[in-house]
Amino acid sequence: MRLFIEIAMRAFRLQMSYRAAAIAGLLTNFFFGILRAVVLIALYDGREEMLGLSLQAAITYTAITQAVIGYLSAFSWYDVANTVYSGEIGSDLLKPINFYSYWMARDFGRAMAALLTRGLPIMVAYEIFIDISFPNFLLNWGLLILTVLLSWVVSFSWRFIVNLPSFWIPNAFGIGRFFFMAALFFSGFLMPLRFFPDWVVKLAYLTPFPHTVNTVVEIYLGVLSPVEIWLAFAWQVGWIVALILVGQWILKLGLRRLVILGG
Amino acid sequence: MASIIAVKKLDKHFKVRKFHRGRFSGFQNFFTREHHLVRAVDGVNFEIQSGELIGYLGPNGAGKSTTLKMLTGLLVPTGGEINVDGFVPSKQRKEYVSRIGAVFGQRSTLWWDLPVFESFELLRHIYKIPEKLFKKNLDEFRELLELDTFINTPVRSLSLGQRMRADICAALLHDPKILFLDEPTIGLDVVAKERIRQFIQHINQDRGTTVILTTHDLSDVEKLCNRILIIDEGKLLYDGQLEQLRQKFGGKRQLVVDFFENYPEATIEGAEIVEINGARITFEFERDSIAASDLIGRLSSKYRIRDLEVKEPEIEETIRRIYEQQLLK
Repeated sequence: MRLFIEIAMRAFRLQMSYRAAAIAGLLTNFFFGILRAVVLIALYDGREEMLGLSLQAAITYTAITQAVIGYLSAFSWYDVANTVYSGEIGSDLLKPINFYSYWMARDFGRAMAALLTRGLPIMVAYEIFIDISFPNFLLNWGLLILTVLLSWVVSFSWRFIVNLPSFWIPNAFGIGRFFFMAALFFSGFLMPLRFFPDWVVKLAYLTPFPHTVNTVVEIYLGVLSPVEIWLAFAWQVGWIVALILVGQWILKLGLRRLVILGG
Repeated sequence: MASIIAVKKLDKHFKVRKFHRGRFSGFQNFFTREHHLVRAVDGVNFEIQSGELIGYLGPNGAGKSTTLKMLTGLLVPTGGEINVDGFVPSKQRKEYVSRIGAVFGQRSTLWWDLPVFESFELLRHIYKIPEKLFKKNLDEFRELLELDTFINTPVRSLSLGQRMRADICAALLHDPKILFLDEPTIGLDVVAKERIRQFIQHINQDRGTTVILTTHDLSDVEKLCNRILIIDEGKLLYDGQLEQLRQKFGGKRQLVVDFFENYPEATIEGAEIVEINGARITFEFERDSIAASDLIGRLSSKYRIRDLEVKEPEIEETIRRIYEQQLLK
C-alpha cells in the first residue's frame, strides 16, 4: 500500500509537471463543453425539462463529462502498450514489483492530477459562466466522491485490458481505438444514456462503460433512488472485480509470451 | 569457492518470419507464414565465481544481449539451465530481481520527466531499502559518480553520460550481489567512459559485486576484466584470460627503432622491415620465434640506437581477426 502511494505520488508530480499540456487540455475541454451546452440549449428549445432532465441538469451533465475527460483518459490511453513497443517494459520487469498494481498506481496518480488541474477548474468555470447545479446534501457529496473513485477503477481496468494486445500484435492501437470509441458512446459521454432508446441502453449496460461517466452523472444529479444508487455501486464493484481478474489473467499470458518470444 | 552463476547447454531459438521476394510477393506474404529458426544462443556453457568481473564480447547479433536477458530473467531459455545465486531467473521473478542490478545501456530505468532524485527515492520504496543503507549508498555514489550537479534535473535534460551514471547508480542502490551491464559505455566520450570504468572497478573490488558486462569497446575489457567470454553466432568461442588470448592470436609484435643515422638496409635476423621513415625503422616479429630483448641485443650490437619501442598488437585488431578469420572455430 505504501508503495502504491509512493508510485502514485510520483505519477501525480509527473503529471503536474506538464503545465502547458494541462492548460491546453483545460481550454479545449472548456471550449467544447460550452459548445455542447449550447447545442443542448438549442435542443431543449425553451422547454424546462426533457425525459426527466431539467435544462440546468443537462448543462451540468456537459460540465461533468467535460471535467472527467482527463481524469478517466476518456479519449485514449496507451501508456502500457507504448512501454511494450519501446522496450521500456524490460526495465519495469526487472524491478520487484507487481506489474498490474504498478500501473494502477501510476494511473491513479495521473488521474488525480488530471482531476485537480482539469476537472475542478472546469466545474468552477461552468459555475461562474453558466449556472450549474451541485449535490445538495453532505451524504450526496460522499456518494459522489465514492462513485467518482469507483468510476476511475472501472475505467483503468478496461483501459489496461485494451493495452494488452500489444504483447501479441505489432500495432495494438487500432483495437484500442475501437474500444475508446465504443466507450465514448456507451458511457453516456456523447449524450446522456437516458436520451437513447431502450434497446441501446440495454446494450450499453452489457458493457462496463456506463459504470464510468453515466453513473457519476446520475449520482451527481441525484436522479437515482436510494436503491438504484446502491445498485449502481454494486455494478461498479462487480465490473471492477471482473475486469481486474481478466486483466491480470491476460497480462500473465502476455508476459509469458514476451519472455518466451522476446520483445 | 562456489560459482554464483552456472549456465549449462543454454539455448535460445527465435522463429523469424520469412518474407518472399519478387512478383506477387505481397500476396504470398499475406497468405503464408513461413518461419525459419534463428539460434541466437546455441549450447552455451560457463560458470562464474562470486566477485569476478567478466567481459562478455561478441560482434553485433552474436547473442550477447539475448544471454544477458536470459540471465536477468527477461527471456525464458529454449533449452538448457541457468542457475544464478540459487535462482532460476525466469521463475520467481520478484524474489530474483531484487538481488540483481541491471543496466541496459540503450534504455533508462529512470522516470523520464522526473528529477533523478525522485526515481532514486521511488527505487528505495520498490526495493524496500532501509533508510540508512539507502543514504550510505547514495552518498557514496553521488561522490564517485559526481551526481550532485544534476540530481535534481529531470532525466530528459541529462546528457548521455550523466544519464548513464544515474542509471548505474540506480541499479546499485539496493546492494545487488550481481550487476549486469549491457553496453554501459556505448556512445560516451573518453572522460565519461573512464569515470564509469573506475566506478565499476570500485564496486567490484570494494563491495565484491560480481559484474558481467557486454561491450563493443575493447578498451573497457582491457582495463576492467580479468576474464572474458567471446560469443559469436550464438556459440561460445572463448572463455579465459584476455592476456592468453592475445598471446595466442595476437599476431605480430612491432619494434619501432630510432637510429642515430640512416641505415637503409638495417636488416636483422628474425624480424622484417615494414616501414622506413628516415632514421626510424619499424620491424615486425613473431612473438613465438624471438624475444624482444634478443632482437634489441642484435640490433644494438650492429647499429647505434637512439630510442626504441615495442608495440603489442592492438587487442581490437586481435579480436577483429578472431571474428573475421574465425580463428576459434
